[in-house]
Parts: sequence; structure tokens; C-alpha cells
Amino acid sequence: MTSILKKLSNMFGGSKNTENVRAESTPEKATRIAEDIRAKEALQASQAEHSPTVNPPVSMTPPPEEAMPDHRPLQRTIIQAPMVVVKSQEAQTDDGAIKIKAEPSREGDSCKFMVNKSLFAGHSWFFSSFESAEGSPLAEKLFSLDELESLLIHDSTATLTRKEKGHFDWKPMATEIGKMIRDTLNDGQGAVGQKIVDEMPSENVIKEDIQKVIDAEVNPGVAGHGGKITLRQVEGNTVTIEMGGGCQGCSAADLTLKQGIHGAFRKAVPFVGAIYDETDHSSGQNPYFS
Amino acid sequence: MPRLINFKMTIETGDKGNDGPVKFSINNHQVPLEEVTGGCGAGETVEGGFHVNSFAHSMTLIGPEEGDWEIKSLKVDYFCENTEPYSVTFGPVTLDDKTEVNVWRDPPLPTFDV
Repeated sequence: MTSILKKLSNMFGGSKNTENVRAESTPEKATRIAEDIRAKEALQASQAEHSPTVNPPVSMTPPPEEAMPDHRPLQRTIIQAPMVVVKSQEAQTDDGAIKIKAEPSREGDSCKFMVNKSLFAGHSWFFSSFESAEGSPLAEKLFSLDELESLLIHDSTATLTRKEKGHFDWKPMATEIGKMIRDTLNDGQGAVGQKIVDEMPSENVIKEDIQKVIDAEVNPGVAGHGGKITLRQVEGNTVTIEMGGGCQGCSAADLTLKQGIHGAFRKAVPFVGAIYDETDHSSGQNPYFS
Repeated sequence: MPRLINFKMTIETGDKGNDGPVKFSINNHQVPLEEVTGGCGAGETVEGGFHVNSFAHSMTLIGPEEGDWEIKSLKVDYFCENTEPYSVTFGPVTLDDKTEVNVWRDPPLPTFDV
């Protein structure tokens, strides 16, 4: 009876009405109201049983685990194959004459001159300024060009970088540079001064010195970013490194290489020539973050 | 980056081959090679290509679904828009069901005689 009165209370708007029902009820009246409520409840239960639109009760417990097939694509690791040769389909002939090809960089601020004769056999040399070119015939000539910032001689190539960055039409200047290279070679002069050639330390000495710089200076510096520099090769005085760990795939790797590593190497090992980074910054599944 | 019109791939298999098909991935879309001749069994050479007509951001040769594939050499002839055709030859590499090898190289920089 109490539960019926509670339901009546809810139907008529709360505890205040319940009290009124209680006060006004007679046993006959209460029995009649209780029968009405039971009939109403039975009707509702019947409707719920037969209604197709009624939603089933929502279970908050997860369904039991089933062996579902994994349809995700297999993530493969991208590897690199050794590249043997890249060549455009262009006929090349050799008639003994000095031939020079100019190859401006994509950025346009530097241009590589490829000569069919050696400029500094088996070695490389980096001229960072006009003063550094003293005693080196070809470098002295090239640094007479006002726009030149640096010059890298490596075997049969000479790479010139302009002070001004950005795209530049190299064709007019390249003709002049080509003439300078050709004249120097025809005169029997070297691209690099004899003093540099004479004082050049052995490959092993350079290798040991570079390794010391990497261990003592470079790697402790990049370790803070999870990076690691590995010496891959020293050929003559040309150094090739690989940037690993957090350096691989990092957008600041080029900046680290040019402003940090180059400076540290050249300061500690003055006879180091070209420095190349052979890191494949795109290989692996997720370089830099992995 | 020029538009890659089409390419032709020549793959020389070493001691371990597979039944194919040879699939490559361009910009992360896996596609089988078209106009395939030859086979990729041990010691065989397979040739095929694809008419891409789009900009290639990445291009890889997919490893086989099962086993190893020892590739002795791999040559790709690229034909790009407004660029001289160029070829890239790769050395030996072994692929399996977890690897793919990068075969994309930008065209050589344009040069001129001085």
C-alpha cells in the first residue's frame, strides 16, 4: 500500500499530494486506486512486450573479445639499394679537349663545374675566403669575382657558392669561370697551392683526428637531442658522416651539419676538405620520431 | 619536381626469386606493374612499367608476400615532363614481406657546357 501511495504521489506531483491522498483516502477508495494502478502497469508491460520500436537495454559492459582479423595494411620498412649510376640519355664523346659542364644547384646559390680533367686528384679543399685562396692559382682567379663566398675543389669538380642567396642565372658568369678553369689547366697550374699538397697529412691521421672531434665535441653536443654522428668514411681528406638517432629525418639536420659539425671539424682538423652527409633522412618507418 | 609521365623497370633476380606479381608503390599507392614480360624467378629478368602521369613524391618496389627476393640489379628508366629521359641503376638488394626499396630519384640537375 505504501508503494502504491508513493506512485500516486509521483502522479500527482510530489510528497505534498501524497499527504493529501493519505488524508482523504478511505479503504474503499484506496483499493479502487490500487486496482487502477495495477491495470495501468499491466497495460504498459504488454505494450512494451509487443512494441517493435522499444530499444533494448544498453549494456555498459564490453562484449567478450573475439578473434577479429586484422585488416590494417602491413607497414613495411623502406630500405635503400646502392645506387650504381644515374645518367641522362645523352651521348658523350671524349676527344681529349678540356670539357667543362656547369650544374647550378636547385636553390641557385651555388654551381658545380665538372671538368673532364682532375683539379686535385684524390683530395678536396675548401676555400672559405679570398685570403684562404692565397697561393692557389685557380682559387685566386675565381676569388677575383666579387660575388664569390666560398669554393670547394673536389677531384675534378669545383663548386662555387655566391654570397647572395636565392635564384641566380649562372650562364653569363659560368662562361667566365669556365675560361678561368681552362686557362689554369692549360698553363699547367694547379687548382690548389703546392704548400697545401705538401703538408697534407695522411688519410689515417685525418680519420683519427675527426673521430676524436666526433667523440669529444660533436656527439656530446647532439646527444641532448637524441642524435648521434657516425664517421662513415675518410677518403684522402674528404670526410663522409652519417647522422643518426634524433638527427635522422630532423628538419634542422642541415643547419646542424653546416653550422655546427663543419665548423668543429675544420677548426680541429684544418686539413679536412669536403664534408658530406650520407644520411638517408627519409628511410625507415618513421625517422626522427622512432 | 617534374611530372612523371611513365617509367620502365628492369629487375634482374639473383639466387632467390618468387612467383610475383611485381608490385610497386607510388605516393603510398600499391599498384602492380603493367605490360610485364619475363619473370622474377631465380636468375630471371622481369620488365614492366606504368603510365603514371602524376608527380612522384615517393616510389618503391614492394617485397614479395612470402620469402625473400634477391635482386641482383634494378634499372628504372624515367620519362618526365619537360625533362630529358634518365635512368637510375641500383645494385643488389634483398626484399621480403616487411620491406620495400626506394627507387625514386629526382632527375639529374640540368647542365650546360661552358
